[in-house]
Amino acid sequence: MTAVEDVLGALADPTRRDLLERLSVHGSATATTLAEELPITRQAVVQHLAVLDAVGLVHGQRSGRERRFEVRPERLSEAASWMNLLAARWDQRLATIRRLAEAAD
Amino acid sequence: MSTDRIEREVTIAAPPERVWAVLTEPVHVGTWFGTGSPAEIDLRPGGLMMLDHGEHGRYSTLIVKVDPPRTFSYRWASAYPDVVATPENSTLVEFTLEPADGGTLLRVVESGFDAIEIPVEREESAGYESHSKGWTGVIEKVGAYAEGRDESPLLPVS
Repeated sequence: MTAVEDVLGALADPTRRDLLERLSVHGSATATTLAEELPITRQAVVQHLAVLDAVGLVHGQRSGRERRFEVRPERLSEAASWMNLLAARWDQRLATIRRLAEAAD
Repeated sequence: MSTDRIEREVTIAAPPERVWAVLTEPVHVGTWFGTGSPAEIDLRPGGLMMLDHGEHGRYSTLIVKVDPPRTFSYRWASAYPDVVATPENSTLVEFTLEPADGGTLLRVVESGFDAIEIPVEREESAGYESHSKGWTGVIEKVGAYAEGRDESPLLPVS
C-alpha cells in the first residue's frame, strides 16, 4: 500500500471524513466531545480515530484522563494532497472503464 | 501541481466505439461511477445523468457535450448531492477518446475546482446526514486548514 492508498482507505468511510472535518474546525477534540456531536457511540468514535491515527491523518495526545486529537495536515498537504486523492479516484475509475471495455460482451 | 484541474489517461485495448459505450450506457456508468445499479442518462447536451453514490448521495450531473465516439463531458457538483450541477457549484469532467494502435487512448480532465463556491449558509442549516459529503468538500476543507487559509468553517462550531 502506498501512502495515498492508505489515506484513501481511511477516508473511504463517511463518518471518518466527518470526524476529520470536525477536528479541523475545532482545532482539537476528545472522543467524548466528538461523540456528543454525532449519532454514534464514543467507542465507535475511538475506533474511527484509531484508523485515522494509524495512517497519520490525526495525532492523539494524552490530556488528563482522555486523549486529545488534532488533524495532522501535513499528511494531506504533502504526501496526499486532496488533488492527489481525487486523481487517484480517477485512476480507479479509468481502470474500471478499461476492464469493462476490454471484457468480452 | 495545479489545484484547478486533474488530468489522467489510460490506454485501452478496445476500439473507441466500445469505450464510448462504456462511458455512456446506463449499465456501464452505474458500474464505474455509481453503486452498481444502472444510471439514468438523458444522453444529449443539457440532459441529466443521475449518478447514485449510495450513502454519499445522488448527483444530478449536467451533460455538456456528446460527440460520439470522441468527446463526452458533463458538469459534476461532487460537493453537492441532490443539487443539479451549475457552473458555480461544479467541476467539468471531459473525456476524450483517440484511436491508438488498434485501441483507444482515453483521457479525462476534471477542471474548475478553483471556481467552486461553497454556500456556507446551506451548511449551517444542514443536519447530520448532509454532512456526509463526498471527497471534495471534506478534503478541500482540511486542505484549506492545512494551508492556514480557512476562514469560514463549513460546520457550526458548538
